[in-house]
Amino acid sequence: MRRRITARVAPYAALAPVLCLLFVFLYLPLVADFDYSLHDWSSLSPTWRAAGLANFRGLLRDTLFWQSLRGNVLYAVVSLLFQVCFALVLAAVLESRMIGRRTSTCLRVAYFIPSILPITVIGLLWQVMYQPDVGLIDQAMNALGLGNFAHAWLGEPQTALPAIIAVSQWQWTGYLTVLFIVAIRAIPREIYEAAEIDGAGAWHRFRHVTVPGVRETTVLMALITIFGAMKVFDIVWVMTGGGPNNASQVLGSYMYRTAFRDDRVGYASAIAVVIFVLCAIIGGLQLHWSRRREAA
Amino acid sequence: MIPILRNWYAPGLPAKYGAHSLLALLAVVTVYPLVWVLLNSFKRSDDLFEASWSVPRAWHWANYGAAWRYGLGHYMLNSVLVTAVSVLAIVLLGALAAFVLTTHRFPGRGALHAVILGGLIVPPEVSLFPLFKIMLVLGIYNTYLAMILPDIAYGLPFTVLLLRAYMMLIPHEMAEASRIDGAGLLRCFWSIYLPMTRPALAAVALVQGMRVWNEFVFALTFVSRNALRPLTVGLTTFGDSLQTNWPVLLAGLVISFLPVLMVFLAMQRQFMGGLTAGALK
Repeated sequence: MRRRITARVAPYAALAPVLCLLFVFLYLPLVADFDYSLHDWSSLSPTWRAAGLANFRGLLRDTLFWQSLRGNVLYAVVSLLFQVCFALVLAAVLESRMIGRRTSTCLRVAYFIPSILPITVIGLLWQVMYQPDVGLIDQAMNALGLGNFAHAWLGEPQTALPAIIAVSQWQWTGYLTVLFIVAIRAIPREIYEAAEIDGAGAWHRFRHVTVPGVRETTVLMALITIFGAMKVFDIVWVMTGGGPNNASQVLGSYMYRTAFRDDRVGYASAIAVVIFVLCAIIGGLQLHWSRRREAA
Repeated sequence: MIPILRNWYAPGLPAKYGAHSLLALLAVVTVYPLVWVLLNSFKRSDDLFEASWSVPRAWHWANYGAAWRYGLGHYMLNSVLVTAVSVLAIVLLGALAAFVLTTHRFPGRGALHAVILGGLIVPPEVSLFPLFKIMLVLGIYNTYLAMILPDIAYGLPFTVLLLRAYMMLIPHEMAEASRIDGAGLLRCFWSIYLPMTRPALAAVALVQGMRVWNEFVFALTFVSRNALRPLTVGLTTFGDSLQTNWPVLLAGLVISFLPVLMVFLAMQRQFMGGLTAGALK
């Protein structure tokens, strides 16, 4: 009898640590975000006033909020071009017959390396690269006779955000390329052979065999990329902190500053809720598509 | 090994060389910044300004000693500690949860599974302030636990997803046979499933190890005592205090990316396998 009860309780007991950790550190903070966003408070002053939707109405009128959101959108668009479109083409070329197998492996490893580096290493590395005096970028431009285009890339409002976004492409394109390679290898060989017998050229085989063959993966990669673009925070914080003069602000960095520097917790939580809702929509689609892929 | 497909392009020679040079150029652009850091980390400050392109005239190892003495050694110990504890907990707890969800039927299983997987779509970035409050309430703000516990929590959903997919391939009879033999849940897990999932466990440990080693946001927000900081955050303060001494800063960068790079190059197959299995970044 006792044994039977133990057996019945055992699965729950085994899941308990995981569920507790997720509850305390993942779901509870999320619920708190929603609660905070409906209140007007800061952690220094003890006042805690219900504010209804005032924080969200404030966001609608806040030009810095819209500017930050534009930053995320720009980040997403550029990332889709590089990390999805370009990465797919790169993967197809690496898997094509003209690249030797060993060469292909070496190149793949080289492209992949930036994605394993710590974010502060990447941030500091590129701060040095973008430096006007010692940095490689401006020196290369001078050497190529493009000295007029040299900039203090991270210090100027027009170039700060594009410079950060460029670093992200450097960091992630190789990673997505490897994911596409895995997908391309799953396409049955026979389809390529049949297409070749029918006289389809390289472009046609890419267009009509490879692209449809990795369609599901492409959708997933696009969703992952947009998800990452909506929540992006660390790279911006490390490289510019959102500056100069808020020029490179994205939602994540604007939220962080509002919460921890300006101590306007209710307002910051409203931004957090916006980020979460964007991520949840995209993440939900992503889970849905990976289920589909599993079922297929 | 999956046979490699090389099907969609039958090359003419010019196209072949063109493609090779473009790919090589791309590889150089990708890796060169790291080589640049490595080379310049051995120079004296004035050499760096005069000729940042060239190979150092004299290899100035003292930069590394200086970087280490500035506190990098201590930051690295913190990183090792946080990573080791977190990864061990993620692997064990995640495997146990995946095991129960795969082999046992009980009321509420589907719902609990959904609760765990739902964590995949919650980015930690949105919850930083509430988490900060929770750390204060629990009294673990400014302790190792303030990094370790959220590191574990946000690693679990992905781990359970990956390990469950792997465990589904193990024949169910294994679990049933051991149950008939009277073995309890834990024994079946420990002596049958855990050994049989070893390759997947290794992949999970590598991927999560890299994630935790590189983790930045929790360490930035929940720890303000310099003595507890891991490398990622330690490096930023290090950078601030060394504003003008570039070579020492570069040596610090090398010290902090070399371990990850070595592990990656040594085990790149398992690494990429683990990362691509779940396709998350």
